[in-house]
Order: sequence, then C-alpha cells, then structure tokens
Amino acid sequence: MDSAFAAAVRRRLEEVLDPELDESIVSLGFVRGLELKDSVLTVTLKLPTFWCAPNFAFIMAEDVRRALSTLDGVREVRVALEDHFAAEEVCGGVNLGKSFPETFPGEAESDLDALRDLFRRKGFIRRQEQAIRTLADAGLSFGQICALRLADLQLAGDRFIVAGEGGSVSVPAEPITRYLKRRSEFGLDASPEGPLFVDLSGRPFTPEGLAAYLRRARLVRTSLEANVFLCRALLAARNATEGGGQNVPHG
Amino acid sequence: MYRTADGQEIFVIDGHIHFWDASPENWRNQYGEGWIRCFYDYHTSLSPAEYVWPFEKYCKYSEEDLIKDLFIEGYVDIGIFNSTYLTEFFKNGFNTHVQNNVLKQKYPDRFILCGTFDPRWGEAGLYEFRRMVAEYPIQGLKLYTAEWRNGSRGWKLTDPMAYRYFELCRELGIKNIHVHKGPTIYPLNKDAFDVHDVDQAATDFPDLNFIVEHVGLPRLEDFCWIATQDKNIYAGLAVASAFIRRRPRYFGEIMANLLSWLGPDRILFGSDYALWSPRWIIEDFMAYELPADIKQEYGVDLTLDIKRKILGENAARLYSIDIEVHRQRLKSDPIGRRLQAAA
Repeated sequence: MDSAFAAAVRRRLEEVLDPELDESIVSLGFVRGLELKDSVLTVTLKLPTFWCAPNFAFIMAEDVRRALSTLDGVREVRVALEDHFAAEEVCGGVNLGKSFPETFPGEAESDLDALRDLFRRKGFIRRQEQAIRTLADAGLSFGQICALRLADLQLAGDRFIVAGEGGSVSVPAEPITRYLKRRSEFGLDASPEGPLFVDLSGRPFTPEGLAAYLRRARLVRTSLEANVFLCRALLAARNATEGGGQNVPHG
Repeated sequence: MYRTADGQEIFVIDGHIHFWDASPENWRNQYGEGWIRCFYDYHTSLSPAEYVWPFEKYCKYSEEDLIKDLFIEGYVDIGIFNSTYLTEFFKNGFNTHVQNNVLKQKYPDRFILCGTFDPRWGEAGLYEFRRMVAEYPIQGLKLYTAEWRNGSRGWKLTDPMAYRYFELCRELGIKNIHVHKGPTIYPLNKDAFDVHDVDQAATDFPDLNFIVEHVGLPRLEDFCWIATQDKNIYAGLAVASAFIRRRPRYFGEIMANLLSWLGPDRILFGSDYALWSPRWIIEDFMAYELPADIKQEYGVDLTLDIKRKILGENAARLYSIDIEVHRQRLKSDPIGRRLQAAA
C-alpha cells in the first residue's frame, strides 16, 4: 500500500465515529491494521474490551466498510475484529452486507437506526454543551449566547470571532466546529439568520431555559467523557497486557 | 474504620465486594478467560502501580488476601458480597452465594450476603429461590441482567417472571436489590446498558430498594434521570470510585451530578474488590475536595458529613444496621481482635 493511498484511507477512517463515544475510531486507537491485497482492503479493529456491545461494534464495522468501499483501487472492504467475543458473527454479517437482524436472527427486533439516532442526539447535546461552555468561558452571558445567529461567527484560523452587542470575542474554533458539524446533520435552520443554539426540535433557548437545559446537558457530557476515558484506559491496558498489533498513527 | 487526622471514626461499609475463583481450572470456555482478562484490564488501568497484582493472583486470591485488603489494611468494617454466577463461563461459578458464604460463616458480622434470581429459571426457580433464602443468610440480592443462559444473552427487570420473584422478595422480607446493567441484553438492537427497566420495576415495587451498581455507567445520565423520579433508587459507586486517582476531575463531576440529582442520602460506597483495593480509594476519597469551580457550578459540596453517609451510614440504613451497636460487636470478632493486637 503506497503512502498516498494509506493517507486517503486514514482520512476516511477519521470520519468514522464510535457511535457511543462520539469520537473518531482513529483517535481512539481502535484501528489496528490495514492490509491491501488483490484490491481487497482489510481493516482490523480492536475495541477496548472483549465484551464491547456487538451492536456498537456492528455499527463501526458497517461504517468502516461504507467509508472505504468507494476508494479507487478497492474492490472489496473486509473488517476484522481482534479478540472480541462476537467477532465471527459481527464480521461475518458485515462483510457479507447483511443487516443486523439478519446477522443475529432471533436476538434483534430491528435494525440499528434507532440506536444510531439515540447516540447522535446524545453527541449533539454534548457538543452543544461544550460550545456553549466555550462561549460562556470567554465572558458571554446566557442572554448574549441565546441571541447569537449563525452569521455572528467568523472563522479566523483556529479561532472563531464572535460578534456580540458589546464588541467581539475570540474563542477556540474546535468545540464550535464540532457542534456545527453535528448541528448540520439534523435539518435545523441553517440560514445565516438562524439561531446558533437550538434544541433538537429546532427551538431557540431563552436565558432561563438555557440554565435548566445545561444542567441536563452537562450530565450527558460527564457521562460521555467518563466513558471515553474508561475506554481509552481499558484499551491501553489491554494492549499493554496482550501486546501485538500496531496502531495506525493519528495526528 | 477510617480515623481522620483529628480522631473522628468513620464507619465503612463496602457496598460491592467479591471473592471470586477465575483460576484457569474453573474456566468453562474462552469466555471465562475473556471475562477475567477484561477484569484485569480494569484493574491495571485504574489501580496505582503499587496495588497491581500479577494476573495469576488476580485469577484466584486467598481468604487471607481478602481479609487483609478489606479489613486489616483497607478500613472496611462490613463488606456486601455482590454474588455473581456466570455459570456458562465458569464451571463452579464466578463468586456464587455458596462460595461467598464460606467467609460469611467464619465472620458473620463482617459480611452481608447477596443471593440472586434469574427470571429464566421460570416457575421451578421460585421453589429454588425459597430454598436459597431458607438455607443461606441472604440479606439482599445481586441481579446481573447480562448473564447468559441457554442461548439467551440477557433479561430485563420488567420481564413478567422477574415480577414474580420481586413479589416473592416482598413475602420473604428481602428489600435490597443490587442491579448491574449490561452489556449484551436482549433485544440486541437496543442500548446494551439501558436502565429504564429499573425505573419501571422501582415504580412498581416502591417498597423495595434498587441499588444501581456502577451508578449506571456508562449511562450516568439515564441513571440520574430515573433516580430523580424514583426515591427508592440508589447509586452504587463501584467503578466510579476508582476514577479518583487517575481522573479526579471526572470523579468530581460524577459526584457533583449525583449530589445534585439524588442528594447525599442515596449514594453508597463500593470498591468492587478485587477489581480494586478499597485502601487507596478510601484514602483518596477522605482527602478529596471538590474543585472550587465544580462546587460553584453545581452548588454542592462533598463535606465530611456527606462522606460519612456515603462510606457507611446510607448502606447501614438500608440494611438496618445500628452502627454504634455493630461497632462494639466488631471489636471482639476475630478480625477486630487482630486489629487491636496490631494497634
């Protein structure tokens, strides 16, 4: 595999998220190996534990396959799960293009769309909380934050310049970019005049409502971040005790 | 018993302990090995280096290890055995009430013994359940919904047969139900850690107490939400407590959320021994202060009085333990005498 091809693969894999953790499988260190042979690209994943839930494993395997199958020079994508209790079932199903209920007959009532959606929503709330926190840390009041429109943000390098009533402030772009990306996936008002912060049904916040909403949202963030930490720590421990494999480096 | 620098005594009930046998001779298949290797990764990833055991010891430790780690060096006064069966992975089970009862018989005042039920035992199991309660000093139950059984990979607290067992708990006077949720529950397309069946069961059995182990992690948000609705839902801190050394800030945020949503009276300490040793967790916990910005943001504090509740008083209330009476009695049991001789 030449380096340009490997870089293209990596770029696409960076877009594949662990749905539960809402982080890239590359930055989480789940991608353990890539192999291209006779135009068949095999991606080996290793999850934090032997017992990671098969439904989330299935989603990741399916997303990897989708992300890479349109690459030039790839005839087929296969996913392998290293040391996982349901590896045979999950990979057997995904690599043959089977649905989740077809893969686990008698054990699943439906496909995984509802599960995907549930966790995309949790991820939305977490990203939104981080974006709001970033603005509040820069000194904006809840009133100012609620009044912001999409047009009030100007990207400047790795910062956003946020126009407000009392002048503009500069904040780190990353948390806001992450939020905007997820916001764009829900069909919410994307016009320049659209409010920057809306809930998942598209309603803008009032300053009073925002305080109560954030109380719930920070709980979602705490839960997700604790989970991300634990998964990273478990995978590191697993690699230390079991060794083997070579992580795909991430930047 | 933990003694503060100014001599105050804190009574400690470790709400989540095990005395397991995961030795290779007991593995039934690759899942037994997969199980204990996964536990070992939890152990090595969060324990301070000086508390990490070799894998062989982790598979099977001795009675003396447990007595020393919990009671002699670990500040614990009473431990609650969260019996775990996993008989499809381990030939003799992982740490069944039968195994745990050996220690309960030797040190009756030091342990609370949990039994279990599984709705998939069906009608016939109701009789077995009665017999378990008659033959063993069962004071609570540990339910593990991800247990495999005859091709089924999990169950829910709302299964109709589970309700028959809850009714039997009422009749037999068992009030405290420790619940460990997930992973791999039927149906497989749903969130493997969903806690909403606990919500329904807690509403339908308001006279039973549901202690959700691991504070519902990795679904802390769903757990806090259901615990806000049902006052008979409690937070078991096992796993979350072990964050305190490597991620004290996450630990603080988890505690702040629990204090803010549940209040200080429904949180129970647990080490999950031998996943982790209680000694370092309790030492860190007693020295811990919530970061100032978290205190400010959540409007809560983790005071000495609240620590005392979490470490012992809340569990004592659930299990009708009079701490003063029990403290006196423990002084003269074999472990109490060892502690006095060492003092």
